[in-house]
Amino acid sequence: MCRVSLLVITSITSAAWVLGPPAAVAQPLPAGPVSAFDGRLSVGAEVVATIGDKDNVAFFNYTDYEHNTLRMFRVALSAAWRPVARVAVVGEVRSEDLNLVRPYAAYIRVRPWIKHAFDVQVGQIPPSFGAYGRRGYQGSDNPLIGYPLAYQYLTSLRADAAPATVANLLVMRGRGWRASYPIGSQEPEPGVPLISAFRWDTGVQAHWEGRTIDVTGSVTTGTLADPRMSDNNGGKQVSTRLAYRPTAGLILGASAARGEFFDRNVTQALSESRGSHAQTALGADVEYSRGYWLLRSELVWSRWNVPFASPATTIDVDALGAWVEARYRVTPRIVVSGRADRLGFSRLDVGPNLTPTWDANVTRLEADVGYYIQRNLVARFAVQHNDRDGGRVRTRTYFSGQLGYWF
Amino acid sequence: MRSGLPSARLVFIAVALWAASTGVIPLATGRDPVVNGTIRGRVELRQPPADLAPRPHVGDVSMPRAHDPTDRRRSVVYLETAPRAAFDRRDEPRAKLDQRNEAFVPHVLAIVAGTTVDFPNNDKTYHNVFSLSRARPFDLGRYAVGHSKSVKFDSPGIVRVFCDIHSHMSAFILVFAHRHFAVTDDEGRYRIDNVPPGSYTVMAWNESAHTESRRIVVPDSGGDVEANFALGRQ
Repeated sequence: MCRVSLLVITSITSAAWVLGPPAAVAQPLPAGPVSAFDGRLSVGAEVVATIGDKDNVAFFNYTDYEHNTLRMFRVALSAAWRPVARVAVVGEVRSEDLNLVRPYAAYIRVRPWIKHAFDVQVGQIPPSFGAYGRRGYQGSDNPLIGYPLAYQYLTSLRADAAPATVANLLVMRGRGWRASYPIGSQEPEPGVPLISAFRWDTGVQAHWEGRTIDVTGSVTTGTLADPRMSDNNGGKQVSTRLAYRPTAGLILGASAARGEFFDRNVTQALSESRGSHAQTALGADVEYSRGYWLLRSELVWSRWNVPFASPATTIDVDALGAWVEARYRVTPRIVVSGRADRLGFSRLDVGPNLTPTWDANVTRLEADVGYYIQRNLVARFAVQHNDRDGGRVRTRTYFSGQLGYWF
Repeated sequence: MRSGLPSARLVFIAVALWAASTGVIPLATGRDPVVNGTIRGRVELRQPPADLAPRPHVGDVSMPRAHDPTDRRRSVVYLETAPRAAFDRRDEPRAKLDQRNEAFVPHVLAIVAGTTVDFPNNDKTYHNVFSLSRARPFDLGRYAVGHSKSVKFDSPGIVRVFCDIHSHMSAFILVFAHRHFAVTDDEGRYRIDNVPPGSYTVMAWNESAHTESRRIVVPDSGGDVEANFALGRQ
């Protein structure tokens, strides 16, 4: 008994915890997706609140849904249901700025041979072209607040309207937002980006994954610039991407796409049929990661065959978007990121020594600092500078902050 | 021959002193010898936690790769307070938290403070092990298959470990200031050996439930003391 008492006294009873603070049995917020039916159904969510300067004069950051990416509240709910091993039903709905909830993805994935990494997806599917369109769709994988120009900046082209003359097109240079033309719909509506990061196309997609090579191809209703749920011109887009992984952490990709761009209301308004009015695009992308670094770069070239009424002709207008971004983890909680971005347009020959670009070239630089409050809750602060060769506002710097949470 | 005897005698005395000091030969004290005991029992989870599912990535163009299920049934049983001797650090222990088939193995690792944990990547893909835990925040960066990095855990606490690339990968490292703890086996059983006689609070922890405690006494005569737990909502 004496010995027991002695041991009790020598016990470290005053040291409150041998393990540290009491065991945290529950995170303040869910840490992972909610799963049910023995894991066959998983549901995730994302809430992103971004606050920043208004952009309703320069329209550098407006989307084709007419929201400012630097001043947006977005709620997304995604789910994957896999009733059997070879079938999955995947979907996501979103609301931006508390507007109507829209379906952003809704497709069925089938793996015909369970032992072969070959999958077919049908529905509103992720883009085959490029890399950012699939990755940037979920904000947690976008290391910056802003979007790459090629995926977000609104050119002066529209699918449902066309300029009658070259002068009509040039008048819309550098607006970054709504354009209006005399052919087709005459309501002022947003132009299109080179590739939409905010809408996905509808169709069929096949993907095969080898040891070092992936191949993805799809046939869809819309185009990269104008993804659609329903057909508007009877044409289909064919797009493909080849990815090569020569070593761990390095991915090299090459993409191509071509599809009918203009709405039939535009082509039927022309005096005669002039064949195809397509968007054709080529892309290259690279990703390299090692240690605390993540580097990504992408190049997108796009050509539209634009019909003009006077003179009755078709002119090819081109755009080239290129960006490079880097992310570096300074500490477990602090991440710094930067992106240098350029969107350029081809020139039109409108007179002696007068060859303006058909839209105003834009250069964008952005730097962000992110602080991880917990693993899936991050606060970001960004400064973004834009320069444009035309338009009412040619240069503007934006400051923005963002709180993003996902599970 | 005679010149060697004093040396042999010294060696004998030294061995006897070492044996007595380490407990191999008990010294006569005039009291009954004190025998250390064993605390053992079982931790039952009323609602066994499900496997961790990957976040639904709508941007994927193929079925997610199969990954090993995460064994979230493991619990850790430990003494809330312990005899002073249990806090002694005698060595530089090492442990391993493996990365295999998109899972950390084991999912729950219990170590004593001062342990260095190796994080080998024995998977087929890149991983980025990190933790934001207050007890020991760290980030090992991205490293390829066949490489390993290590972290030393000096402070007691709970360290939750994640992979920055694979959302369904997670693990717990419980760092203790003393040596009296155990991780449950497949059946939920545990066994903490070599506990000196005394009165203790035994704690049972599982990631999916509130921690529970029991008061137990290890008698002077040692032996087994049983403490069973049922964690989670009834």
